[in-house]
Amino acid sequence: MFDRLFAFLFQLIHNQKRLVIGSVLVLTIAAGIGLFFIRYEGNIDLMLPPDPEVSRSINFLRDSSLSDKIIVSLALTDPTKSKKDLFLAADELAASLRPPLFTKVLSGFSVADVMEEFSLLQYAPQVLDKEDLDSINKDITAPRVSERLGAIYRQSLRPESIFMSSLSRTDPLNIKMLILAKLRALPASMGYDVAIEEGHFISRDGRHAMLIIQTPVPVMDGQRSKELVTELENRLHELPGYVKADMVGGHLHTVSNERVMKRDIKVASAIASIAFLLLFIIVFRDARALFVFVIPLIAVAWAIIIATCIEGRLSYLVIGFGTAIAGISIDYGLLVYIAMKRGADAAQTVKLAKLVSIDALTTMFSFAVLYLSMIRGYHQLALFSVLCVAICLMLSLFVLPLLLSWKQYAIVSDPTIGDRLKSFRWPTKLSVVLWALLTLCAFVLSFSIRFDSDVKKLDGSEPAVLQAEQRFHEVWGGKTNQAILVVQGATYEEAMEKNDIVYREAARAIGAGNISSLALFWPSEKTRKDNSEQWDRFWREGREEKLKRLINGASSAYGFSDRAFTPFFDGLYLHDVNEENPNGVIARLQERFVLRKNDSVSILSFFPDEQKPFEALKDIADKHQGAFIVSGRAMSSSISDFTSKEMRILAPAAILFNVVLAWLFFRNWTETFISLVPLLTGVVWLTGLMAFFKMPLNVVNVIAAIITTGVIVDYGLGMTYEYRYNLRIGTVMAVTLSAVTNVIGAGALLFAGHPALHSTAVAMVICMVSGYLSSIIVVPSLCSILGATKNGGH
Amino acid sequence: MTCKLIRSIAAVLLAVLLACPVFAGENPDGGTENLVAFLNALGKKVSDFKTLKTDFTQEKEMAMFKDKLVLKGRIYLEKPNKVAWHVDSPLRYSVLITDKLIRQWDEDTNQVQEISLTKNPIFQNVLNQLTVWFSGDYSSLIEGNAVRIVKRDPLEIEFLPLEKNITKKVIKSITITFRDDQKYLRQIRILEQSGDITTIHFTNTRLNAPLDKSDFEVKGHV
Repeated sequence: MFDRLFAFLFQLIHNQKRLVIGSVLVLTIAAGIGLFFIRYEGNIDLMLPPDPEVSRSINFLRDSSLSDKIIVSLALTDPTKSKKDLFLAADELAASLRPPLFTKVLSGFSVADVMEEFSLLQYAPQVLDKEDLDSINKDITAPRVSERLGAIYRQSLRPESIFMSSLSRTDPLNIKMLILAKLRALPASMGYDVAIEEGHFISRDGRHAMLIIQTPVPVMDGQRSKELVTELENRLHELPGYVKADMVGGHLHTVSNERVMKRDIKVASAIASIAFLLLFIIVFRDARALFVFVIPLIAVAWAIIIATCIEGRLSYLVIGFGTAIAGISIDYGLLVYIAMKRGADAAQTVKLAKLVSIDALTTMFSFAVLYLSMIRGYHQLALFSVLCVAICLMLSLFVLPLLLSWKQYAIVSDPTIGDRLKSFRWPTKLSVVLWALLTLCAFVLSFSIRFDSDVKKLDGSEPAVLQAEQRFHEVWGGKTNQAILVVQGATYEEAMEKNDIVYREAARAIGAGNISSLALFWPSEKTRKDNSEQWDRFWREGREEKLKRLINGASSAYGFSDRAFTPFFDGLYLHDVNEENPNGVIARLQERFVLRKNDSVSILSFFPDEQKPFEALKDIADKHQGAFIVSGRAMSSSISDFTSKEMRILAPAAILFNVVLAWLFFRNWTETFISLVPLLTGVVWLTGLMAFFKMPLNVVNVIAAIITTGVIVDYGLGMTYEYRYNLRIGTVMAVTLSAVTNVIGAGALLFAGHPALHSTAVAMVICMVSGYLSSIIVVPSLCSILGATKNGGH
Repeated sequence: MTCKLIRSIAAVLLAVLLACPVFAGENPDGGTENLVAFLNALGKKVSDFKTLKTDFTQEKEMAMFKDKLVLKGRIYLEKPNKVAWHVDSPLRYSVLITDKLIRQWDEDTNQVQEISLTKNPIFQNVLNQLTVWFSGDYSSLIEGNAVRIVKRDPLEIEFLPLEKNITKKVIKSITITFRDDQKYLRQIRILEQSGDITTIHFTNTRLNAPLDKSDFEVKGHV
């Protein structure tokens, strides 16, 4: 069936030589032009699992404005300059950052605004709850009132009393301390160690100012992030010489990762191209061998265009695999080229086509296994790779022979090519025993392999970005990551009311000091109304009169006048419940704690992203509908669990496909086993060596390993086929050259600075080298041990 | 008609009031630039010391107290940012203010209390203001205050906080009167928005006098 179909197609194409070559040329030029218009995706999201918890967290972070911020830390470098100079520079920088790239710049808030908006008798009744009133009640006793009046009297002797003594008239019981305790959570909610001076965020050392810059540019948008960062850098260049700036934010990681990946891909492609060229020129000394080199490049270009049409934007990571896949796909052309150079006849050509097709099929199935994964990035990778391999197979089987058999420039025939390599014999038994021992060792070691689920370690940002972050954290703290407790509701008030309930439980579970929530200093309208009514009842239940009496009794000792605290009593019931200043501090707080979407409102509370508080709050969130937790640590753990689960399906599936295809090819278990030796060796040695060198597996290099199994299984199939059937089509030479090209393709990525690409290269190189060595040393030995060859070649 | 008239009168009054800080009173030559130069020169003269020792009497007319509160005590100042304020009567009280902290003691509680200034922005602002008045850096006050010279002999200058100035919330005006030689203050008068008035008279002022370490100790010094 295969023989007839292949012969028919081969003849058909051979008859339309000019048309076929012309069409390939036109399509390649069109694909080449198309590449200039293709945009790629720079984020790692595509490689993350669609686990509901992870997806919800990722979606939440994407929709929130939390990550759409850049923070700039300005440092005074000249000791003769003062805070005033620093604030001036900060204000000028803030003024220069305008829409559309910068929508809002927060450099601090005015203490005056806080004082005005949070005037005691307007604010306290709304936010002080029953617990606070109980605390006030304890102060309405003769000794406590006398103590307080004494403190107010002593304060009036102090220098600050010039400015502050009148404030005491509205607060004889020092109720402001209860409010200050709540407001203290404000800077803590930022996660940084921030002080506020003259309306500016300032560091504890007084030498750094902070600007929080809001931008509409999504952190995942590579192109616009680049524009944003460039524009901000230009503005920072305008700062005076005595001010140095550090930028921190997700956009810088996006831009830097994209830059590193692009550079790595360029370097890897250049290294691979030069190595391929040298290899062909030195080994073949035949210009036509360059066609073999060109075929994978054509296939990559076509595959990118087709895959983009189907999938939309492809990830840079997928394209990063392009050089490795080019190395993989070159095998088929090599096999065809060497067979033709050796002058293969029609029968050998059909057998060669069978071998090349089964090689390509095993590779395609290895990639296709990734479709069983639920990770979208893996689907992109599978599609791109299957396309690349399929195109390469077609071009190698049908177009390459046309190019090599061009009458005017006939192929330089060399019937002995590869014979020396094939005739070299390794000590049969020794090779097998040594291999078995080493594989056993690797197998034992492989049990200690570690899986690293921390995707942050795949962040390839340049050192300058990381150094700026380190300097930032040294000045402003904030090294401890914060997790977010999200409470959602259909309306703002509904969400706020739910948040009040969840907050009360959360504060009880982990302590009020460990969670920063809007409920603490600006609860829902209902709660504020309840609090106000409670406040009124509290004072009307005789406490107002009692306090007046106690103050009168203690006043004479300190010389207080009869009207000393009239402002407090006059304003006791004059508080407003619904008054909210849209430009005030509450409105600004809402930017941090409230997230509005079309159909829902989320209230955010912040707590340390650590195991204990996470577990305690997770239980609480699970009890309340619309409440959930966004935690980097939890996401990492979910990714680890998800990937482990998927690997338990993908790895056996890939192996099963290979076993089935090998058996279908040989229809014999012994030969199937021998042909799978390189696959077994590659997998076991990879895990064993990585465990030995204490290198972890991660979401990226696991996939690289699976892909590589599809390549090394070809070595086993080819070598078993060659030795068992004595084909003499130059398979040893082809496998060797294939291994060299594969290692060049993947090995070029060893020079990559990006950790995701580098770890991919390490996995692929280990897998390929071990697979190749076992195919040329162990497979022939095992074939030899099994006895006489079968008749298949001449 | 009446409404219109009232509005017109109010507008004129408002214009006059708004113009007051700039045009009312006596400026050296009527221009803001010259006023800055004048305050700079005055500030240089006043701030031409490294250390300062002075006695003071502070009178407070406060709605909170039946009678005028009179405090007597001493101030020790060492530039750039160290001030000790000791009250001898009616109650012994001492406070040391540096750029980082304040340390205070009073005989009633007999406890030393230390507060980090960076964690108390409001307190820090108040003390910054005081340090400016005591040390003579008056030109820096131009930005946040309308300034006018009330009298030449003895020199008396009035500072009215502008809207953007945080002190505007509490302070209506601050008037400083200089000694005849204009080398230091004779008196500071602070009128609060609440109507309270604080007046500090400086006597026995000695510039660049040697200061002891003990002058800056709080507990048991008095």
